[in-house]
Amino acid sequence: MSAHAGAVDLGRGLVLPNAVGLASGTAGYGFELEQLIDINRIGALYTKGTTVAMREGNPPPRVAETGGGMLNSIGLQNPGIDVVATVYAPRWRGWSVRVIVNIAGGSVEEYVHCARVLDPVAEVAGIELNISCPNIAHGLDFGRDPAAAARLVAAVRAVTERCVVVKLSPNVTDIAAIARAVEDAGADAVSAVNTYVGRKIHRTSGKPVLPLGTGGLSGPAILPLALAAVAAVSAAVSIPVIGVGGIIDAASALDFIVSGASAVQVGTATFVNPRTALEVLDGLEMHEGRRAMRRPSDTMS
Amino acid sequence: MTADLSRARLEVGEVLVVERLGGGLLELVARLPQLAASATPGSFAQLRCGAGTTPLLRRPFSVAWTQDDTCGFIFEAVGVGTRILSALRPGDPLDSLGPLGHGFTLTSEGPAVCVSGGLGCAPFPLLIGELRRRGVEDIIVLNGARTAARLYPAERFAHPGLPVTVAEATDDGTRGHHGPVTELLTTALRAHPSALYACGPNPMLNAVMSTLTASGMELPSVLEASLEAPMGCGFGTCLGCALPMLDGERSVWRLCCTDGPVMPMRDVDWEGLSALPGADVA
Repeated sequence: MSAHAGAVDLGRGLVLPNAVGLASGTAGYGFELEQLIDINRIGALYTKGTTVAMREGNPPPRVAETGGGMLNSIGLQNPGIDVVATVYAPRWRGWSVRVIVNIAGGSVEEYVHCARVLDPVAEVAGIELNISCPNIAHGLDFGRDPAAAARLVAAVRAVTERCVVVKLSPNVTDIAAIARAVEDAGADAVSAVNTYVGRKIHRTSGKPVLPLGTGGLSGPAILPLALAAVAAVSAAVSIPVIGVGGIIDAASALDFIVSGASAVQVGTATFVNPRTALEVLDGLEMHEGRRAMRRPSDTMS
Repeated sequence: MTADLSRARLEVGEVLVVERLGGGLLELVARLPQLAASATPGSFAQLRCGAGTTPLLRRPFSVAWTQDDTCGFIFEAVGVGTRILSALRPGDPLDSLGPLGHGFTLTSEGPAVCVSGGLGCAPFPLLIGELRRRGVEDIIVLNGARTAARLYPAERFAHPGLPVTVAEATDDGTRGHHGPVTELLTTALRAHPSALYACGPNPMLNAVMSTLTASGMELPSVLEASLEAPMGCGFGTCLGCALPMLDGERSVWRLCCTDGPVMPMRDVDWEGLSALPGADVA
């Protein structure tokens, strides 16, 4: 796969116009960024993790800055799947960015319910399963156990023909085994990785800054870790791998591509510079143009 | 409801000066034409601290004042981000995203009282200028700090020719009233203000509300505080800057960045706010 700034086929009829997406939890449902950037130049928007019922989220502080990164413990604050399907989705009508709704839950039934609600919604381009949120009780169970992950994916697969992307947790011993399990269970693609469990200590109190003790680490600090995970996953599966974790520019996005990713998601960097995903896209297109000029006889595949 | 970000712009401006006001108080002045043209009282800008990845996140600062194409920001060098800003030299670039946030409700009826604690002075010069423009004559500033050197200079709360009454208080008695700034409130309330604006540390804001409630006087119709919270993005997507606010009897999380930073003081869950841990400054 060399046409990384061009269209990316994730399967089940979902073709992203380009390889660059906005990662779940860093772009809301698109309505803020729509006002700040030309969101329709971007290939995909992966929404905030959405659950069956509305969740108010965790008590503050919910974010803590660390060296080259940040910890978050938002606790999946979201309005619930029905609001997303009936109030938000109509607002995506006419958008060319593909909206992939990220869903999360505490049981197979909750994921299945969300997938059923989204299945008939025309504006929903696909579903990303968050089997790996570190900030809610039991949220990690599916992401840690290949058999549990496979059962979940199979159950969701049974109720939707939509493209199903599974977002993998890096907080496991063998991420490739989880990736293989979800591929076998019918996942169309995997995204890797979600945040790393991390902890920050308040230097005057000696206590953790985040009220639950730990949070999810994101930002450029995790780039090398995420690249290693993506390389391992890419070697293990034949479905498309979407690289995410620490991208701040086109060069770091290319690191994922050469590690086996077909597409990428820009996450925390959007907080710092809302235009990052667009700059990554511009950079990838320029890179592609240079490659084409260097090797005019190559056919893009 | 989605926040209105239609005025927010990414803009790389130019530092004109970082002025040391004494006591650690700094005033950063930068040419940021778009921000200067569109900032409203109580709005803030997310400023990038350096061009690297540590510190990673922008830092939110109230737009303290605007003049022509320049903006002022008041801060102290307390952490890694503000230390970088404090070392900026004239001509250095300054990367701003703003204006952001929901600002003060502007009244055209006086008297208006502004209560400031420490760096809580930051949003008031811009607010005072706008209130004057709207014809509010009687503006009283109650300005408190730990010690005299840390008081934002009284003459800077308004442009020359727009005098305001500034009453000062210091914890150590080195200038003005010896004691917390809230002890000046009872006198100011006798003027029956139609608006009261407050900004400062949470315990001070809590004391302002308690003093108002205990006074038994009718509360000003505009009663607002500019709050703060650890912030990720500043524009409503990371959901990091939750603050406890009352929705009827129930405490709910609202976002400091887009629902605030200015909140109606009647709607703040003061008990919940007091229970939050202190800021994590590294």
